Amino acid sequence: MITTTPEPLEAAAASPTARSLRRFRANKTGLLALGMVCVLAVIAVTFFVLDTLGIPWPMDPDTTNLERKLLPPNPVNWLGTDNLGRDVFSRLLNGAYISLTVGFVAVSVSLSIGVTVGAVAGYFGKWVDNLIMRIVDAVMCFPTFFLILTAVALVGPSIFNIIIVIGLVSWTGTARLVRAEFLTLRESAYVQAARALGQRGPKIIFRHMLPNAAAPILVTAVLGVPEAILAEAGLSFLGFGVQPPQATWGNIIADGKTYILDAWWLILFPGLAILIAALSFYLTGDALRQAVETRSERQ
Amino acid sequence: MTVFIIRRLLASIVLLFFISLISFFIITLTPGSPYPWGELNPKVSEDVKRIFREKFHLDKPLHKQYGFIMRDLLTGELRSIKDERPVLAKIAERLPATLALNLGALALSLSFGLLLGVYGARYAGRSPDVITSILAFVFIALPGFWVSYLLAIGLVNYGAVPILGTHTIGVTFSNGLEVFLDRWWHVMLPASILAIGGVAVQSRFIRASMIETLREDYIRTARAKGLDENAVFYRHALRNSIRPLITGIGMLLPALIGGAVIIENIFAYPGMGRLGYEAVLERDYPTLVALNFVTAALVLLGNLLADVLYAVVDPRVRLE
Amino acid sequence: MLGIPLLLAAVTALALWTVSRVTVDKKNEMYIGSIGEPSTLNPVQAADSASGSVTGVIFNGLLKYNAGLEIVGDLAAEWKLSQRSTFFFDSAEAAILAAANLEAGGVDREALHLRRYAVEGDRLELELSLPGVGDSEKLAAKFGVAPLPVQTLSVMAPKPLEDALTRFAAEESSARVVRVWSHGNLGELVFLGAEEATRERLRVWLAERFGEEGLRIEAVQAPRFLAEPVVVFRLHDDVRWHDGAPFTSRDVKFTYEAMMDDRVASPRKPDYELVLSVETPDARTVRVVYRRPFSPALESWMTSVLPAHLLAGVPPDRWPLTFNRAPVGTGPFKFAEWKTNQFVRVARNEDYFKGLPHLDGIVFRTLPDPLTLRLAFETRQVDFWSADPWAVGSFREDERFTLFTSPSNSYNYVGWNLRRPMFQDLRVRQALAHAVNIDQMIRYILYGYGTQSTGIFTPEMWFFNPRVQPLAYDPEAARQLLDKAGWVAGEDGIRVKDGQRFAFTLITNNGNVIRSDIATLVQENLRAIGIEVTVEMYEWAVFLKRFVNQGEFDAVVLGWALGQGFDQFQIWHSSQTEPERLNMVGYRNKEADRLLESVREEFDRGEIIRQCGELQQLIYDDQPYLFLFVPEGTSVMWKDAFRVRRPGPDGTWIDEPVTMTKAGWSHYLEWFYRPEYAKEASE
Repeated sequence: MITTTPEPLEAAAASPTARSLRRFRANKTGLLALGMVCVLAVIAVTFFVLDTLGIPWPMDPDTTNLERKLLPPNPVNWLGTDNLGRDVFSRLLNGAYISLTVGFVAVSVSLSIGVTVGAVAGYFGKWVDNLIMRIVDAVMCFPTFFLILTAVALVGPSIFNIIIVIGLVSWTGTARLVRAEFLTLRESAYVQAARALGQRGPKIIFRHMLPNAAAPILVTAVLGVPEAILAEAGLSFLGFGVQPPQATWGNIIADGKTYILDAWWLILFPGLAILIAALSFYLTGDALRQAVETRSERQ
Repeated sequence: MTVFIIRRLLASIVLLFFISLISFFIITLTPGSPYPWGELNPKVSEDVKRIFREKFHLDKPLHKQYGFIMRDLLTGELRSIKDERPVLAKIAERLPATLALNLGALALSLSFGLLLGVYGARYAGRSPDVITSILAFVFIALPGFWVSYLLAIGLVNYGAVPILGTHTIGVTFSNGLEVFLDRWWHVMLPASILAIGGVAVQSRFIRASMIETLREDYIRTARAKGLDENAVFYRHALRNSIRPLITGIGMLLPALIGGAVIIENIFAYPGMGRLGYEAVLERDYPTLVALNFVTAALVLLGNLLADVLYAVVDPRVRLE
Repeated sequence: MLGIPLLLAAVTALALWTVSRVTVDKKNEMYIGSIGEPSTLNPVQAADSASGSVTGVIFNGLLKYNAGLEIVGDLAAEWKLSQRSTFFFDSAEAAILAAANLEAGGVDREALHLRRYAVEGDRLELELSLPGVGDSEKLAAKFGVAPLPVQTLSVMAPKPLEDALTRFAAEESSARVVRVWSHGNLGELVFLGAEEATRERLRVWLAERFGEEGLRIEAVQAPRFLAEPVVVFRLHDDVRWHDGAPFTSRDVKFTYEAMMDDRVASPRKPDYELVLSVETPDARTVRVVYRRPFSPALESWMTSVLPAHLLAGVPPDRWPLTFNRAPVGTGPFKFAEWKTNQFVRVARNEDYFKGLPHLDGIVFRTLPDPLTLRLAFETRQVDFWSADPWAVGSFREDERFTLFTSPSNSYNYVGWNLRRPMFQDLRVRQALAHAVNIDQMIRYILYGYGTQSTGIFTPEMWFFNPRVQPLAYDPEAARQLLDKAGWVAGEDGIRVKDGQRFAFTLITNNGNVIRSDIATLVQENLRAIGIEVTVEMYEWAVFLKRFVNQGEFDAVVLGWALGQGFDQFQIWHSSQTEPERLNMVGYRNKEADRLLESVREEFDRGEIIRQCGELQQLIYDDQPYLFLFVPEGTSVMWKDAFRVRRPGPDGTWIDEPVTMTKAGWSHYLEWFYRPEYAKEASE
């Protein structure tokens, strides 16, 4: 098959993946953002483990201490305390893994749906494509936010449900993207060849087409994480998010908003946490996109 | 073309039917009673609740309720449970404020997005581009309610600036200009927060589109002809990059209506988002169903219009 | 390309500059902010507090509370209570004998409120100056002949009854029907004879006409004689509606009919179901007869009166489009405009029957976000703010503000679902009460603005029992009680009985900081005595529909906001434990049932205080709830914003700062004035 590959000559020097990696490494902002994402991941995993083992560090995020309520940042409570005297710093660190879990799992849900739907539509084309895309249109017609609100009210605001609901309403973009990729790919020589050799649909989709669409899907995934985190925060703000006493960045702000004029630290720090996390993911995603974009190499 | 429009219209009606069906079931299956008085009101007896359920057909099986709601909706007779006013009138009442807010946000995100995007594309890869890029991502990453709160506190505590509603209440202005500026401010404040994300998205979109266009053959030709770089950039590349942007506006509609909930609440702005949000909280089923239906209809119509316009503008596109 | 963004930015900057220079609150108006939007301005249909505060200044009731929470006339200049008690005998002779014995018995007419009596056929009718059952029973004891017991059946039919009961009464021969009443689907049959047999015949008779489904016939706990309280209202004769039409007794009768009309779906209907008739002998007089003593009835005439001349000819389903959005009342302020989701503006009623209000108008603004509502208050865009407890301190220290702090008529509690075996043991409930540190809650959640609750009434109510002793915080006592009840410490520190761990879920609604704090502290307090509590929060509508109303919960944090009335039948009576009813914890106590029933029929103040006191002690001893605290509410006002200049006795005027009354700071709202407009106000 090598002889039939229509890649330009320089391809011989390195694989596309290696080139993408090289380009990514050259992007300082992207590297920095990726580093930040890794730090967040480490924090999340660490506190997930600590929480599971029941080790309260730096303090137990759920233990109240009424004598020390609503204290501004101080040497003991670095980021102050909330209305029940709980340590904001500890709650923030513990909230990290919930918020990030919401981000990652919701994206996985939306990716699975989006990729499947998009792949089926793009691969089969014709009336299948037409039907599926009309359904996608229909889903896009719903005012997403009301849909989320009603759905959360319907199934209850557990972490699991919120993840599912956010995932369920955010797959349409991925589906459209994958469909577009597939519509192009199905005309490509090697898919035509595979078809001529009598391979069946699922095999072609998963063996040949999906790997070739992996790069844009990865980018969508990374860009989807912060969107899910922000969506959870917005839901929490309206009281539809993950419920206290479980801390997430969103509901620390939601709880703290009542005290905002008397205790600014309750919303400033979690807000910054959301901002930094979302920004890191967006910049990483953008750097990834630049690195895998084939056309930009001609620049 | 006429055949295409008729076919799409018919398809849209079928689609609308399914949308209304799905949204009706999601909405009515949501637990909660739509009683307009507090549920835990010791004064309200079973008898009163029964009368109320009968009045709004809530005692009927779901498929019949759906029938009643759709019949009333299409004849314009559908009433809100909260205040028993026709829901279409309630939606229409919010339209001016919602339009002002969303047009304001749209104008801001398009104009500033264009500015930032073109600036980024002009200096692609160099430090101005990097800075605007990061700025754009900071904008997207900001939680809207967080910014609103910080801004509200800042404006009120340090400037005693009125920020609530559609205009300052309790003041007589000396002239029409002041009245206009007052209203302008009350629209533009929430609109700018709403537009923060939009600016970022649009600027990224335009930047990418510009860079793409600059690689096209006719740009190379123009450059080869020795045209001034600024002329190439602003006259040829820019014009061709904006076109897809215009058709994409239609898709923004549902997001704009839904996305304004939090900001309308904070700034006490009487828009469509608040209507929907309050309807969710109060389980005002008719209002919610109607709101979903009207939005969906508008979006479908918008999509159709965009397609038709595209065909009119671009002779290469043929509608079948 | 640069032009448009620059222009947008420049105009916005100019606008910002303009609005930052305006100073608000310069008009002679009052600005009130509320989180919620009024749903309707029809006082008969509204049930939310946002609607109530607006309709409160547009309309008047026949009666109202004065500053000391006593009932006084509003649209009614005066009113009089009495009762007609009718006893039935075997024969006319027996009735005459009973009357003679009563005369000879030497009763203290004064003490038993007896005015006069008369015999009519086999009936003896007494007229008393105070409604109630007790006096009549004492008088009946002197009869010497036993009157025939009167039976009462209530009917709830699937369709409107119309004259079905009258026809049944005519056809029925074995029982003697002495009264029928029906309204819509509800009806009542009062008769002499065997209860069981008549009920069965009535059931068969009605089932033939309406079908079995939805038909409910129940015996009513009612006096064994006809006891019909009568209220006569004498109306003010100089009152006009805002459109100039005169206010008459016809309006009152119309309002009663509207509240009973199913098409109006008034949440106040239950207050009027015991009314037998509303008569209007002349334009100034309204005579209301009740089917039996119902002491909360008097308060029900505080409901606003609707204008018959505008509404009588209009079908109620048109009201939401017209009257409910632009009401016409008799009150100190006239409706002016309603901008949905923004504000309702009312303007001074130049023709108000109690005098000219000082303010030009009041603007009720809807500001849905608590933070921006507070910001609006701090920048004087609204004049009042219901302060959050944690913010009260800083306002109290600030000279520029006046604070009105008063105990609320509400209390917070943790309700134990008594259907759950673990909560059925009284010792367990007492242990739970001892284990929770309520003082700490009051100190840290309410910042000291509250007192411990000692049961179903709050200290400000006139029938409150101050002798009920609260259970003290005593974890040691709690542990001992649990040990005694058989709950002993298990391996993981959680108590166990018969292999079951003492673990339960405590639920509450989200968005209420005080309730979620209570839940968290209860969780901590109970962990200390070996009980595991999981806290879950739900959105209000879901919380009610799926859990509370269905009785599907272990324990719940909630609060009751009570009116001034003492009737808590719906909350505590054992008949109210079904799904969707308010006795959601499933409390059943025969003695409590008896008290709840009898106090509703009592008009004597002393007797009400005695019975309510007994009821409060009884329920507190049973601990179906963990009664937590009665919070105090604090409203803040800019000190220089308003003063009060109100009519005093004998045509004088009293000028004073805004002060707290038992009925709240806003009791004299129509007499508030802005000092900068004082000259105009004194004219």
